[in-house]
Amino acid sequence: MNNLSFDSKRCELIRQYLDSYLSNELLVETASEVVRHLESCESCSRDLESRMRVRDALQRAVVNRPVPESVRADVLRSLRESQPRSFMRPSTTRWAIGLASIAFILLSLFAANWMSLHRGEQLVSSILKLGVSDHIVCAIKGHNYPEVANPPDQIRNKLGVRYAVLLQVVQERLPGFEVLEGHICSIPGSNRKYIHFITRGKGTILSVILTERNGASLPKGRLLASPESAGLSIHEGHLSGMEIAGFESAQYFVFVVSDLSQKQVLQLARGLAPALNETLQTTAFQGQNSHVLNALFKLRHEIPTSLTRYSMTTDEALSPKANARSSYYFGSPNHDRNNRS
Amino acid sequence: MFFRPKVQLESFEAVAMPHLTDLYRTACLLLRDRHEAEDLVQDTYLEAWKSFHRFELGTNCRAWLFKIMFHRLHHARRRLVKASRVIAIDDPDVLEELAAETVVPQEICDEDVLNALEKVAVEFREIVLLADVEEFSYKEIAETLRVPLGTVMSRLSRGRKLLRQELAAVARSYGIDPCAKQAGAAETA
Repeated sequence: MNNLSFDSKRCELIRQYLDSYLSNELLVETASEVVRHLESCESCSRDLESRMRVRDALQRAVVNRPVPESVRADVLRSLRESQPRSFMRPSTTRWAIGLASIAFILLSLFAANWMSLHRGEQLVSSILKLGVSDHIVCAIKGHNYPEVANPPDQIRNKLGVRYAVLLQVVQERLPGFEVLEGHICSIPGSNRKYIHFITRGKGTILSVILTERNGASLPKGRLLASPESAGLSIHEGHLSGMEIAGFESAQYFVFVVSDLSQKQVLQLARGLAPALNETLQTTAFQGQNSHVLNALFKLRHEIPTSLTRYSMTTDEALSPKANARSSYYFGSPNHDRNNRS
Repeated sequence: MFFRPKVQLESFEAVAMPHLTDLYRTACLLLRDRHEAEDLVQDTYLEAWKSFHRFELGTNCRAWLFKIMFHRLHHARRRLVKASRVIAIDDPDVLEELAAETVVPQEICDEDVLNALEKVAVEFREIVLLADVEEFSYKEIAETLRVPLGTVMSRLSRGRKLLRQELAAVARSYGIDPCAKQAGAAETA
C-alpha cells in the first residue's frame, strides 16, 4: 500500500466524502472513487477505520443500554387511559346505545299514552257536552218543567212504552229528588233525540238524560274514568258551570247533570247507574222488537261519531243564541213536532 | 378519537410499540434525564395515537414516530432555557478544533462512549444518533428535524468529529495516547 501524504489534496477531497461513504449516501461512481483511493491510502483508510470503530462502538453502547420494562407498561397504560373510560369504549358504547334505545321506546310509549289520554279527554269532554247542553237548553234556559210535578202517568205517556219503565228507576234511585217532568227531546237540525228526566231536590234542578250512543263510546281507562259503579266507568266533568257525570249502558249514554257539587253529582250517578243499567240491559232496550218500536216511534236516531260534529252540535246548543231560537221540542213520540207541552 | 374501535388501538400498538425501545434510548441520550425521556416517549405515543388516522399503514412507522418525537422535543426546547453546554455551530474555535484529526482507541467501553456522546452538543448529537445508531437516511433525518439536507450533512460530519475528539480525550485520561498508538501503528505498517 502506498503511503500518500496526509495533506495531499486528494486525501482532503476523499476525507470530505468519508462521512457520506460511511452513511452509504454517495453515488455509486463517487463511492467507487473513494474505494479506489482507500485501497492506495493507508492514512485515509485508517481514518475510515477509526470512524467506523466509533460508529460501531456508539451503536453497541446505545443498544446495550437497558430499557426499563416499566416504560412500555406506562405507555400502554396511558394509551388505554386516553381511550374513553365509559362511553367511549366500544362495550360501553353498546350499553349506551342500548340504554338510549330503551329510553327512546319508553319516551315513545309515554308520548303515545299521553296523546291517547289527551284524545280520550277530548272525546269524554265532547260526549259530556251533550248532556250539559241538553240540560241547559231544555231544563234551565227552556224551563220546560212544571212547578208541580206532572203525574207519573202523564210522564209515562210522554215517554212512551219503551222508556216509561225508566221513570220508576229514576224515582227510586234519586233519593231526595222529585221527578217533575219526563219527555223525549229532539234537536232541530239533528237526528239525535234524548230521554230527559227533570228532577228537583236539594234546592236545585237535576237532569237525568239518556241518548243513544249509536256506536260511539266513552274511552276506557282509569285515568279518564271515575271509580266504577257496578262495573260501569263513570266519567265526570265540569262544563258551563254545571257538574256532569256520565256513563254508557247498553246502547245509551246516561248523564246526570246539575249545578250541585261534583261529589254530589257523582254520588247520585253512582246510585243511579246500577239499576238504570240493569233496566237498559233488558231485551226491550237491546233491539228485540226494536223494529216494532222503531216503526211505532218512527225515530231514526243517529249520533254523530266524529268529534267535530259533537262539538258543533253541543257548541251550537250551548251558545247564547240557543235559547233564543230554542226549537227543541219534547213530548211523547206521538206528539207533533211543533206541539210543545 | 372518542368512538374509535378497540381494534384500531390494537392495530396502532402492533405497528408502533416495537419502536418504543429505539425512541426511548434516543430520548434518554438527548435529554439526559430518564424521567423526562419517559414523558417525552409517552407524549410521543399519545400524539401518534391521536393522529394515527392520518398514518398510512405500510409506510415507515419508525420514521413517523421519530418525526413526532423530535417535533415535540424541539418545540419544548424552544420554550426552555437552552442547556448550559451549548456550542454554536459556526463557533470558530470549534471549527479550528475540528481541523485536527483524532484517532479513537479500540479499548473503550460503552460507558465511555456514552459519556463522550453526552459532551457533544445536542444539535450534533441528535444527528449522530439518527444517522449512526438509528441508521436513517439523510433525507429522513432532514424531514425529521425539518432542516435542509446540507445542514444534516455538515452537522453529522461535525458531530462525528466532536465525538471522536471526546473519545480521544477519554483515552488520554486513561493514559492511552491515541496519537502515539496511531504513530506506532504506522511504524508497524
